[in-house]
Amino acid sequence: MKKLFALLLSLTMLVALAACGGDKAPSNQGGATTGGLTPDAITQRGVLRVGVKTDVPGFGLLDTATNTYSGIEIDLAHKIAEELGIDKVEFIPVTAATRGQLLDSGDIDIVAATFTINEERKASWNFTTPYYTDAVSLLVKNDSGIETFEDLAEIKIGVATGATSKAALIAAAAEANVTLDEDKNFEEYASYPEIKAALDAGRVQAFSVDGSILAGYVDNTNHIVESIRFSPQEYGLASKKDATEWSAYLENLVTGWLADGTMAQIIEDNGVVASFTE
Amino acid sequence: MINQILELWRWQDLFSNWPRLLTAFGNTLQVALLALLLSLFLGVVFGLMSTSNKLLLRGISRVYVEFFQNTPLPIQVFFVYYALPYAGIVLEKKLIGILCVGIYTGAYMSEVVRAGIGSIPKGQFEAAASQGFTYIQTMTLIILPQTVKIILPPLVNQMVNLIKNTSTVAMIAGLDLMYFANSNATNGYMSYGPAYLLCGVLYFFICFPLSAWARNYEERLKKRDSQQAKELEKVEEVVA
Repeated sequence: MKKLFALLLSLTMLVALAACGGDKAPSNQGGATTGGLTPDAITQRGVLRVGVKTDVPGFGLLDTATNTYSGIEIDLAHKIAEELGIDKVEFIPVTAATRGQLLDSGDIDIVAATFTINEERKASWNFTTPYYTDAVSLLVKNDSGIETFEDLAEIKIGVATGATSKAALIAAAAEANVTLDEDKNFEEYASYPEIKAALDAGRVQAFSVDGSILAGYVDNTNHIVESIRFSPQEYGLASKKDATEWSAYLENLVTGWLADGTMAQIIEDNGVVASFTE
Repeated sequence: MINQILELWRWQDLFSNWPRLLTAFGNTLQVALLALLLSLFLGVVFGLMSTSNKLLLRGISRVYVEFFQNTPLPIQVFFVYYALPYAGIVLEKKLIGILCVGIYTGAYMSEVVRAGIGSIPKGQFEAAASQGFTYIQTMTLIILPQTVKIILPPLVNQMVNLIKNTSTVAMIAGLDLMYFANSNATNGYMSYGPAYLLCGVLYFFICFPLSAWARNYEERLKKRDSQQAKELEKVEEVVA
């Protein structure tokens, strides 16, 4: 009886905890009414909160010496703020594992963090038209001799937790008649620097992620495999599922900038190669 | 979070992955069990060493305890995983989990054992010595059986902590429960709600029986003691 009571008590606390977490979202939206976040609500609040990467040169990079951010996604965030008529942008560092949760909890208004659009993710969040298209590549040690998909069957490949590169690589290899196993051939790590450390330590033989991100990790001991480039990765701005007005607003901005060449200019300004086309 | 938990299709998607879930659960159990044995062994050995009257043994035990208690477990795991390969030592991930978690918790257990032995009145040691008991006999027959009751609650705390600490191997892609949860929370439909809730529930199901058993066992030991004491009283009354 006592044991049952203890079990019930812990379950009650768990539910109460979950409920508290759920309540947090609406109160954080800065006076938004039902139907989710609106552009006006953000203008009224006076600050745009954007989830960005801190470790991706050219996209979202935090210079720890000056505590300033730079990259395509940072420029995009500033432009959106400009459109909203506010000048304050708060950048919140996110990882592949935290960006979705932070959107849902209402802690951030947009994710601009090399977030690849796919059908599965569209079930959980709203995405804009892609502002950049990348391709997945592999970074390997110079002496590894890895050149084809066949070379991948016997090695371990380091990928980031929550990146689409694992599924994309399995699919691309399958087309070349090579079977890669989710657990046997892949190791998931929480951050890119950890994958680089694992590559250097010989824990993995290849580092697979979007090419633009890989470019930041090339040094004189490794190189990007040029013969393996696959699966276009389309980066979009993500917003909360129920924020229909806000996501329509963002979509409108992005398509506008793609059409008038603003986007291409931002990409060029940040020294990133133009979008990947098959 | 709560929305995701209420969506049935996310749970179906999660459980469609059951062979991976089972492997992950098995790996966590395996690492926990072997690390538990290792930490108990180290705890008793170093606990005894720290109560020894030889300065060298006490010193070694002190260094072990202080080193592992005062550095974070993730750093130890990272060191073994990322740094040791440069020295030519490449350990398998499950083994890293068993060694790191086992040695780390062993330091805490050694402190528990030391405190337990320290709490036994000195007269017990002297009585054993006066009857010609060797050190081993004194410890195994007189002292340790008495400490068990005292150290059981803190020892089980450490065991439960150990089981939860095995989740650190997720950081080095250890294919355990936490890794499975992370993987499901961030891949495919990114159903983080169900993935982490299930993960928490499964850890609970591993830890709860252990702590429940320990509480039971402790009660039984105490009951037996009071019974023995009553019987002794009766005998004394009869004799008187």
